[in-house]
Parts: sequence; C-alpha cells; structure tokens
Amino acid sequence: MADELKFPTNGERPDRDSLDDSLKALIREAYAPPDGDVYWTGLEQRIMARVESEAPGDSSWWSVLAPWGRPALIAATAIFAIAGVVNQQFVDSDEQLAYDSVLESSTPDVVSTSEEIMSVERGADGATISYFLSH
Amino acid sequence: MRIPDEERALAEAARAGDRDAFAGLVRLHQRRAYLVARAIVTVHEDAEDAVQEGFVRAWQAIERFDPNQGFGAWVNRIVANAALDITRRRKVRSTEELSDALQSPFRDPAQDAELKSRLSEALAQLPERARSVIVMHDVEGFTHVEIGEMLGIPGGTARSDLHHARQKLRTLLKDLRG
Repeated sequence: MADELKFPTNGERPDRDSLDDSLKALIREAYAPPDGDVYWTGLEQRIMARVESEAPGDSSWWSVLAPWGRPALIAATAIFAIAGVVNQQFVDSDEQLAYDSVLESSTPDVVSTSEEIMSVERGADGATISYFLSH
Repeated sequence: MRIPDEERALAEAARAGDRDAFAGLVRLHQRRAYLVARAIVTVHEDAEDAVQEGFVRAWQAIERFDPNQGFGAWVNRIVANAALDITRRRKVRSTEELSDALQSPFRDPAQDAELKSRLSEALAQLPERARSVIVMHDVEGFTHVEIGEMLGIPGGTARSDLHHARQKLRTLLKDLRG
C-alpha cells in the first residue's frame, strides 16, 4: 500500500519542479477558452456546416483510391511486362528486316559469285567424276 | 480506459454515418480540443481554425476510429496535428505579435497588468514546443505521454521539454517573483 501511495497511478512521476499556483493561474488565464455557450454553439455549427459537405470516411482522393493501389500496381506491372515483350519483338523484327534488307541488296552479287565458284568447282568435280566414270 | 456509455454510443452511431451523433461528439469535446490547439498555436483564431479542421478530418476518418479507444484522445491528436500544420505554415511570427496574441481577447486586463505583460513576453520567448508542453501540462493537466502522442514526440522528451521550459520561465520572471 505504501508503494501505491508513493507512485501516482497515471504513470507520471511526482512533479517536484511544478510552477507556482499563481503563475499557473496567470497562464491559465492567458490561455482561457472563450466563455459562454453562444460561442461554443456557434463553433459547433461552423464545424457541422463543414462536416455536412463531407461524406463520412470521405478522406482524400488518395485514400479513396487506396484500396485500388495493389491491383493497379499489379496491372501496371503486367502491362509494362507485356509492353516490354511486345516492344522487344518489334525491335527484333525491325532488326531482322534491316538485316534482311541489307542481305537482299547484297546477296545477288555474293550469291552469283559463290554460285560461279560452285559451278566452277562443280564443273571441275563433274569433269573429274565423268573422267573416272568414263575410264 | 473507461469510456462513458454516451460517448461510445455517439461514436458508434457516427461511424455508421450519423451526423447528429457526430455533432454530439463535437459538443462533448470541442472545448478540450480548443485548449489543445491553443496551447500549440497560441492565437485564438488559429486555435479555432485548428479545431474546425481537426473535427472535419476526424469525420473524414471516422470509419477508422476504434470505439474502444476514447474519442477525445483520438480527436485531440488530430486537432494537435492540424494546429501543428498551422504553425508550420506560419512559422515566422514575431515575438511582439505573439505577445499581443497572448493578451487578446479572452484575458481580464484588470489586475496586475505588469505581471501579465511580463508573463506574455516570457511565454512568447519560449520555444514553440516548450510553450505548448508547459501549457498542456501545467494548465490543462495532460500527462507527458498524452502530450507526446499529441505532439508526435516521446513522453520522455515532453517531460524534458517541460523541465527546461519551466526553468526558462522562472529565469525570465525571476525579478517579478522575489
């Protein structure tokens, strides 16, 4: 019981350096709230006039949108991923087209050269083969 | 914490969207909320703005209010935040202006004018948070923990601020108290 008397029940330690009561009274007076029911009724009415224009739980636009945050994030990630894949495919096909167009413009010369070589080689081979077959 | 039945019923009805019930909560708590705001912003008009803003924010967030906690403590924290927002917006305020504000308009200027004037000047010289803590604790009777919750600081910091604010106030008023 002695301990209970020593320590206040609200968890606050004993207040040894409290201000004088006269000083507290002066501060209290300086900060005194307006007196009279008229003032408080008026304040209540002003508060409620603002409340009337708000729905309960009508926080701000971002809190209204908050429940959609996670699905929106997942959807945005999926869209970016798909867009990335599609874009990569376009880039690949563009590169392929560019590559093909380069090949198309240069292939005939290369092919004709190689075909000439091949035909010469084949011709030589053919002559050799026909030589062996004929003998 | 024991919550009065009337307050719990009003809070539950307000959560369900009943504006009349919310008006009942305003009626019950607006004075205390005003004192909290006034301790932070000092000026009556700013305190009134903070109270209005705080209650509107409370209504907007009423669905998130837990009726098992006290509505007063909850709304006081919101009002304190609204008051702190105002002080941030009006950070630059001269000592002279503050001193004038403390003398207006709800003080009785009849007696001991010099002491009151010196007190106003001394309070105006205290750092903003120290002044809030001293008014909340020594005048309004809030605990360090409650003050810490309202001002967003640890209870131990509120206690320390209070100690230093009292020391400074005593020093500033030393020659008047002898």
